[in-house]
Amino acid sequence: MSDKEDPFFVGYLPAPKSLRWFLAGVSLLLILAFPLFSWAVSVTQEDPGPSGYRFDFGRQTLTGTITLAPYPTLHVTEGSELVAAGETILLAGVGKFGVANRVSDFDGALATLQGIILDRGDLRMLQVAGGRRGVMAAEGEAPTLDIEPLGRWRLSGEICDGKCLAGAMRPGTGIGHRACAQLCLVGEVPPVFVASEPINGHEFFLIGTADGAPIGRDLIDFVGLYVEAEGEISLRGGMPVLIIDPETVESL
Amino acid sequence: MSVKYIPVQWNPNKYVYDAVMLAAVAAFLWFFMFVSPDLLAHDRPITGQIRTARAFGACAFFMLTVILCIGPLARLDARFLPLLYNRRHFGVMAFFIALTHAYAILGWYFSFTPIETYEALLSTNTSFDRVRGFPFEILGLFALLCLGVLALTSHDFWMKFLTPPIWKALHFLIYAAYAAVIGHVALGVLQDGHATGLTVAFGLSGALVIALHLAAVMKDRRAGDPAASIAQDGWEVACHADQVEEGFGKVAVLSTGERVAVFRQEGKLSAISNACSHQNGPLGEGRIIDCLVTCPWHGFQYNVTNGRSPEPFTETVPTYDLRIDGAKVLIRSEPNPPGTYVEPVAATPANKDTV
Repeated sequence: MSDKEDPFFVGYLPAPKSLRWFLAGVSLLLILAFPLFSWAVSVTQEDPGPSGYRFDFGRQTLTGTITLAPYPTLHVTEGSELVAAGETILLAGVGKFGVANRVSDFDGALATLQGIILDRGDLRMLQVAGGRRGVMAAEGEAPTLDIEPLGRWRLSGEICDGKCLAGAMRPGTGIGHRACAQLCLVGEVPPVFVASEPINGHEFFLIGTADGAPIGRDLIDFVGLYVEAEGEISLRGGMPVLIIDPETVESL
Repeated sequence: MSVKYIPVQWNPNKYVYDAVMLAAVAAFLWFFMFVSPDLLAHDRPITGQIRTARAFGACAFFMLTVILCIGPLARLDARFLPLLYNRRHFGVMAFFIALTHAYAILGWYFSFTPIETYEALLSTNTSFDRVRGFPFEILGLFALLCLGVLALTSHDFWMKFLTPPIWKALHFLIYAAYAAVIGHVALGVLQDGHATGLTVAFGLSGALVIALHLAAVMKDRRAGDPAASIAQDGWEVACHADQVEEGFGKVAVLSTGERVAVFRQEGKLSAISNACSHQNGPLGEGRIIDCLVTCPWHGFQYNVTNGRSPEPFTETVPTYDLRIDGAKVLIRSEPNPPGTYVEPVAATPANKDTV
């Protein structure tokens, strides 16, 4: 039996006077609790890091040597205000797509590319613009790429897609971003290993396989996880590259 | 109560309820999307689409938490019953907030790909065999589908069509949805270990929901409705006449498991089913207003002598035969068909001192 001293609320009738202050207090509490929860969650979000599109420098025009394996890169011979000659940068298309099919005719040759730069620390990527002006043949002798082997290493860290890591998405790493990164890698965006401890001063390594093919499902399943992996590391035109041994990859 | 179905039966209390709800949700989203970026002051801020997805996702989670707290709060303190009154609007809005979260995620993480968006959602991450890396998006999708079913069937038409017991059982999906959301968050964003505020708020929210439900269960066990005792063939002692006060009900659990509510009106006793035909609300915790038993949940009303809603309404509840044996109120175990008139029985006036 309900207590007859309690006010009785009927939805389609005016609220009992003795209940109005209580309901006003509950309403106020709710209106305050929601932004309070919002504050607790939103202001403790982690800094996504120094990455992003460099729209502030506008569309870049870069000339250099294209290398297709393990993933398309450009070793810059004629740079810009943002990218100096001598740097090697990753290449990707618009969206979650690589550009292997667009630059396949230029392996080892000079080409002039246009697009927007993304960067994160010493990791740089050119998002190649669509249309004919995105990829153009260039005249001249293509310099040979220096390859400096650094030996076999065991690394711990995270396998990411290079584009989101470089700032296409902020944050572009971790479990929350895992499916997006997997889709990027299915689309042949260059994968990057983010080492938890720098090796020879390098934190980011372009991942490749021994046969030069894009990484397969066996590696894509480890994307976004904290993993250990072994492989041969080298500097190709200054870019750190990890030729990963898929058999050694394990989730920690 | 209605004699025809209309989308929403607005009244001043519903306007106030929805206004408070909208203000709370708007404050949540406004703070998350427009205030927090300045407070965070990241050199390169979180991508807008990701911030939007997070804002709506966190808001949906908090809304579900509040929605699940309302039921046990109302059991623990009847002053919270007004929050129950229009809770379905809260639920429908939670669905749309969750849908916006899903839309933002699909439009960002699962778009611009070589694979069609929905195929990508279902086929990209298939690591169902691991905890870390589990495709937590599937849990979110399940929760969204549950909320969608609840929102779509929230109207009284569906309750009438499905019958209240089935409708009510269906709406227990809210717990499945909340459990799936817990999994969605715990196996998703919390796995990265960077969301300190979310971790704390998430833990406190889940603990609050569990604690309130446990407290409500304990209260019901401690002060729940007493069981009737069998007196003679087919009759059971529900209570003593002096325990039933004028204008109020007294509930007892019959041997059949059904709850009966004995009411006193103008000094005479009548008995009807305790379950309101609308949402099985506890009629025995209601009151007699204008000669009609009024449900404490949504105000559905019944004539206590025949279990019928006043015309033109058509709702009915079963009535019970009742007789007095000394001070005892005896109820026939088997109910009468809904809407059956039973002559009220005169009984000793309620005496507060003997309750």
